[in-house]
Amino acid sequence: MSAGRAWAAGAGLDIPSAPRCVTQTRCWTPPVIPGHEARSVESLCWAAGDRLFGAGLGGDITEYDLSGLSAARGVDGGGGPIWSMVANSTGTQLAIGCEDGSVKIFQVVPGGIQFERNLDRRKGRVLCLSWHPSDTHIVAGSIDFFRVIDVTSGQTVQRIMVNYHVEKAKRECVVWAIALLSSGTVVSADSFGRVQFWDWEQGTLAESHTVSTSAVLSLAVAQEDSIIVGTSTGATYHLQLLPVRLGGLEKRWVRTKPFQFHSHDVRAVAHSPTALISGGLDAQLVIRPLMEKVQKKSYDAVLRKFTFPHRRLVSCARKARLLLFQFSQYLELWRLGSTEETGKDGEVLPLCRMPEHLVQLKSKGPEHIYSSCVSPCGTWLGYSTASRFQLYRVHCDGDGVSLRKVPKVPKLLPPAYQLQFSADSESLFVASARGSVHVFQLLEPGGCKHLHTLRPPSGCSEAVYLLAPSADGHWLAAVSGDWAIHIYNLKCFKHHCVVPTYDCAVSAIAIHPSTNNLVIAYSDQQLFEFSIPEKQYTSWSRTVQSRGLHRAWLERDSPITHITFNPKNPSHILLHDTYLLCVLDKSLPLPDDSALLMNQSTLKQLPETARKRQLHAFKICKKFQPLLFMDLLDKNCLVVVERPIMDFKTQLPLPVQQKKFGT
Amino acid sequence: MVSPGALRVVRCGGGGQRGARAVFSADSKYLLYASGDFVKVHSVNTEETLLLLCGHADLVTGIQLNPHNHMQLYSSSLDGTIKLWDFMDGIPIKTFTVGPKLLALYALASAEDSVFVVIPKKGERDTFQLVSVKLTKGAGQDLEGKELSVVLDGVGASPKQIAFGREDSYVVSVKDVNLQVYFFKLKLLNRFSLSTAKTKGGDNSFSCVVCHPTEDCIATGHADGKIRLWRNFHHKKAYTYSALHWHHDTVMDLAYSLEGTRLLSGGVESVLVQWHNESSCQKDFLPRLGSPIECISMSSDGILCCTLHTDNRISIINSNLRFSRSIQGLIKSRDVKTGLVVDPRTKALVLNGEPGHLQFYSLQSDQQLFSLDIVQRQYIHQAGLKQSELVKVAFSAQGTWLATVEESEEVADPELQLKLWFYSEETQSFALNTRINTPHDNHITDMCFRDMAELGDDSLILVTTGRDCVFKVWVMVEDSDPEAHQSVSWSCDFVGSYHNYQATNCCFSEDGSLLAVSFEETVTVWDSLTWELKCTFCHPPGNIRNICFGRLTCSKYLIGATDYGFLCCWNLLTCALEWSAHLNIVVLQPDPLSEHIAAVSWLSKESSLFVFKPSEPWPIYIQRNLCKEKILLAAFVPRDEPEMISSEKYCWLRKSQLFFLTDTQELMTLSTKSLEERLTPSSKQLAVEESLPMTPFSVLLGKHRRQQAQEDTDLGKPVVHNKQEQASPAVKELLHTPAHVLPSASFLCTIFINSLLISKENKSAEEVADEVEMESEKAEDDSDEEDVTAMEQEDTSHMELLGEMTCKLSKSQEKELRKIRKMDYSWISAF
Repeated sequence: MSAGRAWAAGAGLDIPSAPRCVTQTRCWTPPVIPGHEARSVESLCWAAGDRLFGAGLGGDITEYDLSGLSAARGVDGGGGPIWSMVANSTGTQLAIGCEDGSVKIFQVVPGGIQFERNLDRRKGRVLCLSWHPSDTHIVAGSIDFFRVIDVTSGQTVQRIMVNYHVEKAKRECVVWAIALLSSGTVVSADSFGRVQFWDWEQGTLAESHTVSTSAVLSLAVAQEDSIIVGTSTGATYHLQLLPVRLGGLEKRWVRTKPFQFHSHDVRAVAHSPTALISGGLDAQLVIRPLMEKVQKKSYDAVLRKFTFPHRRLVSCARKARLLLFQFSQYLELWRLGSTEETGKDGEVLPLCRMPEHLVQLKSKGPEHIYSSCVSPCGTWLGYSTASRFQLYRVHCDGDGVSLRKVPKVPKLLPPAYQLQFSADSESLFVASARGSVHVFQLLEPGGCKHLHTLRPPSGCSEAVYLLAPSADGHWLAAVSGDWAIHIYNLKCFKHHCVVPTYDCAVSAIAIHPSTNNLVIAYSDQQLFEFSIPEKQYTSWSRTVQSRGLHRAWLERDSPITHITFNPKNPSHILLHDTYLLCVLDKSLPLPDDSALLMNQSTLKQLPETARKRQLHAFKICKKFQPLLFMDLLDKNCLVVVERPIMDFKTQLPLPVQQKKFGT
Repeated sequence: MVSPGALRVVRCGGGGQRGARAVFSADSKYLLYASGDFVKVHSVNTEETLLLLCGHADLVTGIQLNPHNHMQLYSSSLDGTIKLWDFMDGIPIKTFTVGPKLLALYALASAEDSVFVVIPKKGERDTFQLVSVKLTKGAGQDLEGKELSVVLDGVGASPKQIAFGREDSYVVSVKDVNLQVYFFKLKLLNRFSLSTAKTKGGDNSFSCVVCHPTEDCIATGHADGKIRLWRNFHHKKAYTYSALHWHHDTVMDLAYSLEGTRLLSGGVESVLVQWHNESSCQKDFLPRLGSPIECISMSSDGILCCTLHTDNRISIINSNLRFSRSIQGLIKSRDVKTGLVVDPRTKALVLNGEPGHLQFYSLQSDQQLFSLDIVQRQYIHQAGLKQSELVKVAFSAQGTWLATVEESEEVADPELQLKLWFYSEETQSFALNTRINTPHDNHITDMCFRDMAELGDDSLILVTTGRDCVFKVWVMVEDSDPEAHQSVSWSCDFVGSYHNYQATNCCFSEDGSLLAVSFEETVTVWDSLTWELKCTFCHPPGNIRNICFGRLTCSKYLIGATDYGFLCCWNLLTCALEWSAHLNIVVLQPDPLSEHIAAVSWLSKESSLFVFKPSEPWPIYIQRNLCKEKILLAAFVPRDEPEMISSEKYCWLRKSQLFFLTDTQELMTLSTKSLEERLTPSSKQLAVEESLPMTPFSVLLGKHRRQQAQEDTDLGKPVVHNKQEQASPAVKELLHTPAHVLPSASFLCTIFINSLLISKENKSAEEVADEVEMESEKAEDDSDEEDVTAMEQEDTSHMELLGEMTCKLSKSQEKELRKIRKMDYSWISAF
């Protein structure tokens, strides 16, 4: 199964540039802004408080609507492809570096940006930019040289060639990243693997550190005395300004810690006061805390590695046994194979029917698909992009499958952030902006009608991103961007209640089919159970909160992305994240910190009586990883979608060849 | 110290340096290093051992120049004393008795009257502490140094695991995975530790530490081959380090250059790595240093650096990473399997050297003469790799033939090679004559030549004994193959066995008529002409360990030692046991020049020496407790001239000297003289002359003197002064010799002229005519050739020449006159 390709290719905003400001939420499920085929993002920056701007090779500067999770306004940069964009220290101005060698300054105004002026234009694309902390100068890195521009006059005041002192002088020396420090030192990172420190006023080279044999691609500075650089071999290096002598004034840059967390280019690095953050072509985000800056041994003092996605990209039609995979530009519908045989644990059963690729549905236009869903009966299929929402009727006649677009879908204010069919496949819930959820009635043989729009009574500015209908069609839970969970009564289309606010992002919710308890997984790995009829947390949930979850459970990196229930045993909750599949048995005692959380393999070796004593609520299976999706089809059947690492790696370019000793 | 006349055990080479770094003198002319119980002073320029500072009763563990007087040296020893030496004269100035074992020594410029030493912590095993010792000022030579104050606890025992930082402001100690820094002024102790987890097969533990001379930077070497550079270590948390990695195995030592711009590192790879600047990944290598590097030290002017190697070699390396010269005494090999053999030609000791090589070690100069590559295969340093090893070696009596046996390390099926080497007079080295693959089916246990000068080449036979229960006799045969470029080769002549017992030892009687071969418990005696079994001896129980024939007047006796602890002497005439003694003999060594036989026993952790004549059942000399170490091998080395030993007790030392090799590969000898006498006075004098510094003033003075000399010639003074350096030894010798022992002036005149003319001849290379003359002269009288060489070498051996002058006078005079007559004086016309 190659379902996860969606996030390698369509990862638009998440990967190429790491966030410049990382708020110290312990673990977060990031909101995702859907990408656009024609607008690759080269550079991102925060300006004027919490406004996020992106610029790319499309030549546009785009502001992103963070509450609506969409690209809001685009302004043409006017200089061809934009390679870099940086905001000044106050966030009032943006400088962009363009293909044609120009550096342009834009004013950030309420509601958009405004072109202010052109700075001195020289030949050669401007690959990187950096403002002086006092906003008086900008340094712009190009191929073979960088230049310092006085912002007020707009003139180039210094032009420094960087391609000296290299053996293979015929190769061009690309300045991939640059930084201007308040002391007047320019730090340049180039394709020869050097990090160089220049006194720009004198035009002299102060120090040169060859950190790598391959290119240094990214650079970030914190507190003027700490630098992180990322190279194309996947290594990141930490450089520090340290006193040469104890108590002396003379200081020198020293390359200190090398880290090798990535297998490919480290395209973006960020330096928070306590951590080094790097993101690369291998689609991993790594947070390496600086031990000396972390006060106590806590969650923050541990290396974190994130792989994406943290959301559901697969949906399952349980009754029809269909799987819908969402890729960045198309959908694939598969019919699951089946077997009639039974076997023991660990056996691979022969298939009597092979899985079947039914249909591939390409979305029109350059926009990426944001959400998709297939109805439980398998007859309806919907997807949405940033601007459109499409609904299809699936006709299965024998072997052939045909899709027919449902005409006259009511016009909605796009986009639809989440689509969810009800359990009886008679209605469709569309999560929308401002906390609203639209309810559609699906009509045979292929039509739909807008029934109602559910809104939180107090109003909400953020979009809804998670939906969970109950199996009996009575309730609907909706999570909006401000992490409030609203529960609606679908019989009378009324707001029922709000789940008490917990200050963390919700990563998955589900309503139990028999008890109508809402199970909530937060991205800090907490689990809650909320009884909808009683409008309060269940006693089990209170026990969990008073006892606390196991430490090993809480320190996981990857959030729970899907919750489902075992129809045979109402006390079983099935959860999964990228690395594990867990059956949570509410009838068993919770483990305490001294017990082993993942004890399935040790339990197997114990005799029956001893096993009983060791049992606890979390039954964890790490057999499948990385997991994309898991659902129960019926009482006896569980479908698991796994994205093998190898499948994912083969789609990446070859890593830089490195000689390893002894090979 | 030693009562006159008593025998002293003298260490004369080998041994280990045990991790103490060598020290250059302030002017970089001398290299001082600890070797066993001594400190050796070497001249950097001539590689000669100039002085031996002896006085410590146990291993010397650390040496340091006195930072306040560069002509003085501190040394510490396991005997618990610190000594202050004047190393130029080899005089101990002061001895400070500290008490406990001292494992390392550090002398700081900032500490006026104290030094730092590492001592074991009281009451705890394997725990050491760094203490500062106050060196009391006193008049006497023996002083107390009991005022100790602990600086650091839990330090490593090796001197390389402690280093003092810039301007002695802090001290760093590493042990296992922990590093501790103590700042003297701030009184701040910081501890850092690395993770113990052996990540990726690497071992994080520290092996050595050095400090940057001008910056606050610590470089540490690690067992996994990494070098870490620590900075900011005065912060408990914000400390940081970066790593350099080239070595694949433990970094044995590190050294910073004088300015701290370069860092040198060495390890088991025998490569000296120079790291230029931590910011650039640039590094230089000096490969093929021969053996693993143990210590690195820099001279104070930064021009030279020296590496001590595990096999006792010392390499001196220029600052531009060029190999300059090496000082090599007895090379320590992994295992001395060949035994101690004396080369009859050079009187050098021959034994295993570098892997696969045979070293020729000169006892007189404590230098390696040369190293002969026997195995002729590249040695690859890798754990667990099977290498070919040299296991046996034997010389013929004249030293013209050398037989070697090498085997691969496989125990079950050894790959054996017997090689025979012929000494080529032309190349002055051994050339391979015959190679025999698989001479025996199992390990070769012993090998010996029969060589009698009076019988000529035909008498030369070689006997090998093997564990395949046979002994084989090898003889030289004329090579019938016309294409072969050598006239003789070796082949097997006779195979003998005895009841299918393993043959363990073999030995020829002095006249070569009898061969004794021991087969486990039995000694068999064979007629070497007919290869008949003559008789057998045994002394059950116990296998025969060593056998040898008596010599000279005792040639009718056969001596054998069993591993059951018996020494037996059989009479060959009566075929009966003459006498036996209950002794656990390890080494049995006959003196080739006398009847005496030396036997070394090993009993209850001490080695004892017995010297006896086979004809007498009681030993003529016994020395109990010869040394603490186990003596593995011994050899009698003939003296050049018999020594005058008055005491009857030591008469066995008259013609030969006895040398022992211990299990630590230390070479020892027995001497009746005190140590100072052993060193030649000339070398001492050399030391003094060399010590004169080359200053601008001395250059000026030299110029002035030359002018004076010219004035002297005007006054009709000796002409010699015109001749500068070349003739000076001869001239000096003449001038230094008292007038009443000088030969007649007429003779001296020829010497002067001779020395003048020969050197002139050498200078004018384009004058071919002279050379032709010389050649024709050689053709004329070949008999005089030796004298010519003697005359040419007279620069060095003039002393002897003067002594023997009267006998050679006429001959050489004649020749000189002839030479002068033939000399081309046309060059004079040029002036």
